[in-house]
Amino acid sequence: MDHPTVSDVPVGPDVKVQYRGDAAKLFPLALGVGVLGLVTFGIYRFWGKARIRRHVWGKMRVGDDALEFTGTGLEMFLGFLMAVVALAIYLAIVQLILFSVGIRFIFDPQSEMEVIAQGVSVALSFVAVLPLLIFAAYRARRYKLARTRFRGIRFGMEKAAGGYVIRALGYLGLTVVSLGLLWPLMTFRLEAYMTDRTWYGGARFRQGGTWTGLYRAYRHVIVGMALVAAAVVLGLMDQGGLAALSGIVGAIWGGIGLILYRVRGFGYLMSHKALEGGLGFRAEPRAGTVVWTYIKGALIVGLLGGVASGVIFSPLGAMMAGVEDAGDLMRVEYAVLGVVMYLLVLTVFGALSLVFISQPVLAHFADSVTVTGIGALDAVRQRVADDGADAEGLADALDMGGAF
Amino acid sequence: MLPAPENAVWFDGQSARRQAVLVEVSPDGRALRFGGQVWPVDRLRQIEGAGLVLALLVADGDDELPHDPARLVLDEGPMAGWVRGNAAHLARRDVQRGTGVKIAVRVGLAAVALAAILFVLLPRISDRLADQLPLDQEVAFGQAVIGQIEGFLGGDRPLTCDAPEGLVALEKMERRLTEGQGLRYDIELRVFDHEMLNAFAAPGGQVVIIRGLLDAADTAEEVAGVLAHEIGHVEARDPTRLAFRSAGSAGILALVLGDVTGGTVIGLLGDHILSASYTRDAEAKADAFAFGLLQRTGIGTEGLAAFFERISGMGADVPEILATHPASGNRAEAARGAGGAAERPVLTDSEWRALKRICR
Repeated sequence: MDHPTVSDVPVGPDVKVQYRGDAAKLFPLALGVGVLGLVTFGIYRFWGKARIRRHVWGKMRVGDDALEFTGTGLEMFLGFLMAVVALAIYLAIVQLILFSVGIRFIFDPQSEMEVIAQGVSVALSFVAVLPLLIFAAYRARRYKLARTRFRGIRFGMEKAAGGYVIRALGYLGLTVVSLGLLWPLMTFRLEAYMTDRTWYGGARFRQGGTWTGLYRAYRHVIVGMALVAAAVVLGLMDQGGLAALSGIVGAIWGGIGLILYRVRGFGYLMSHKALEGGLGFRAEPRAGTVVWTYIKGALIVGLLGGVASGVIFSPLGAMMAGVEDAGDLMRVEYAVLGVVMYLLVLTVFGALSLVFISQPVLAHFADSVTVTGIGALDAVRQRVADDGADAEGLADALDMGGAF
Repeated sequence: MLPAPENAVWFDGQSARRQAVLVEVSPDGRALRFGGQVWPVDRLRQIEGAGLVLALLVADGDDELPHDPARLVLDEGPMAGWVRGNAAHLARRDVQRGTGVKIAVRVGLAAVALAAILFVLLPRISDRLADQLPLDQEVAFGQAVIGQIEGFLGGDRPLTCDAPEGLVALEKMERRLTEGQGLRYDIELRVFDHEMLNAFAAPGGQVVIIRGLLDAADTAEEVAGVLAHEIGHVEARDPTRLAFRSAGSAGILALVLGDVTGGTVIGLLGDHILSASYTRDAEAKADAFAFGLLQRTGIGTEGLAAFFERISGMGADVPEILATHPASGNRAEAARGAGGAAERPVLTDSEWRALKRICR
C-alpha cells in the first residue's frame, strides 16, 4: 500500500480516568432540583436532570480534561411529551386488546388450559412493553452520547435501536431457555452491538474480546445456580434438610456472584474496548469496594435521612395533636400537608442516595479505568451533530433513567 | 488594569488535539486573543467544568446548541478572574431562537393528542369491543366484578344477604320489574350487607343493592325506582362499556405509574363500577328507561321521585354514585312529571319489612 496507514501502536502515556465528585457541592444541587421538581409537579425534573448531568460530567476527567454534557432540560421535556403521546396510544390499545382477550380467563379460569392462558395473557401485557423498554434503553444511551463532549468533540451512537431491540429479544430468549447459562452471551453481544456503533468524533469504537471471556466473571453465578439445582434434586429425593441448606447457600452465593459479575463484567468489557487509532482502556474495578461503598452509603443515607425525616415530620406531629377537634376541612389540609412532607422526605432520601451511593460507586468505576495511547486523540476530527437523538423521552416516560 | 498573558489550553472544536496557547486580553479590553483567534469578550459563555471553560456564543448554526464547539480552558487565576468580571453573558442560557413557539406547539399537540386518545379514541374502541363480547362471557365477567367489589367492601366476609323471607320479597320485586318486559338480560338481583347507601349494576345483568339504601328508603316503591334505573344501565350495557373504558385508561395510568402488570386495571375496575361514573347522557337515558319501565309495570314514578328528594336533602353525605348523577332536585321533578303514583303496591307491608330485614 502506498498511502500512509494509521498506526495502531499506542502513542502517548497512560492516563487515569478520575471522577472528582464533591458531596458538599452535589447535595445542595440534588436537593434543590428535587424540591423544585416537587413544587412544579415533576415538570422541573428534566431541567434538574440536565443540571445534575452537567455537574457530574464536568467532574469526570480523562487526564486533565473534563467531559461536558450539552443536553438541555428543554429538549428532554419536549422528548418526553412526544414519547408520552406515542406511548399512550400504544399502551392503551395493547391494554384494551389484551383485556378483551384475557377477560374470559383472568377472573374465572374454568380449566387448566385457561389457567395457563391467564398466565400467558398477564405475561403478554408485560412482554408488550418489553420491546419499548429495550428501545428506550438504546435511545437513552444514544442521547447521552450525542450530548457528551470531550475536548470539544462530540460522541455519538448510530441510529440502530430497531436492530438492538430484535437482538436483545433474541438473546433474552436464549438466556431464558438456557436457564441463565447464556447470559454472558447476551451481555457481550449487546454491549458489542452498541460499542461498535459508538463514535468519538470521526473515530469509531470497537469491542474486542469474546463472549466466553465473560465466564470468568460469571462463574460464581453458575456455582450459585448449581447449588440451587442441587437443592431441587435433593428435594425430589426427599432430603429436605440438605435441600434447604443447599438452596439457601446457592441463593446467597448466586446473589454475591451477580454483583461480582456486574463489576468484573464491566472490567472485562471496558478493558477490551478500543478507539480507532490505537487508544485503549484498562479497567480493574473491585467488587469488594463496590459492595462496601453500597453498605457505607446505605448507612449514611439511613442515618442522615432518618434525622431529616424527624426534622420534617415533628412539626406535623405536633400539629396533628390538635386535629381531633378540627373540622373536616382542617383535616383535609393536614392530610395534604402530610402527603407533601412525605414527598419531601422521599426527595431528601433521593438526593442523599445520589450523593452517598450513586456518586461514590460511579467514582470507583471511573477511577478504575486507565486510558492507553491517548496520543491517538490528536488525529480525531469533529463529527456533525446527530439530529433525532430524541432526548430519551421514552426512557423517561418508562421511568428508567438510571441514577444519572 | 488588564491581566498579564497566561498559558491556557485550547480545543479548536474540529480536532481532539490539545493545544497549548498563550492568552492575552486585547489592549482595548474587548477581546481575548490566542493562537491567531480573537474572541470578543461579550460573546463568551461559561461551560461547567474545572477551571474556567469558555465557549463562544454564535447566532445560529447546525450545532445542537447555539454556541461554538471550540473550547478555551483557563486555570483559576488573574485571567479567569478578569473574564468573570468583564464578560457580560457568561451565564447566558443556551436556547435556540424560536424555542418558545416550539414549546407551545409541542405542549399543545401533546395535550390535544392525549385528550383525543382519552375522550375519542378509547371510548370508540372500548365500546366496539364491549359490544362484541358474547353474553356468557359478559355474565362471567360481571360475576367476577361483583366478587371483586364484595372483597373490596367486606374483606373476607361474604356480603350477600340471604334471610329467606327477604329473598322472597326481593324475588317478587324483581319479577314485577322484569316479567314480560322483553329484557335482553336475565336480571339477577342481590343485596350486600354494608352500610353504604348505594346500588349498582355490573356487566351481564347483575344488579346489587347495598343495605344502606334499604335502610334509607321508606317504601318499596323507592327501591323499585332505583332498581329500574339500574336495569336501564344494564340494558344499555353501560357497566360493560365502563369496564372496557377503564381498562383502556388504566393502560395510560399504568404508563404514568410505571405499572405494566395490569394490576391497575383490575384494581380500578371495582372502584369504577362502584362509583359508576357514567356519562351524563347514559344517566339521562337510564332515567328515561326507568320512568318508562315504572309506568308500564304500574309501579309509578312517585317512589323514585321521593327517593331523589330524600338524597338531595342529605347534602354532603350522599354517596358518590348518586352525587355524580345529575342534580337530584331536577330529577325528582322529572320523575314526578313522568307519571303518577303506584297503581298497586310492589310489596305488601309485611314483605317490605322482610326485605328491610334481609341482612339479619
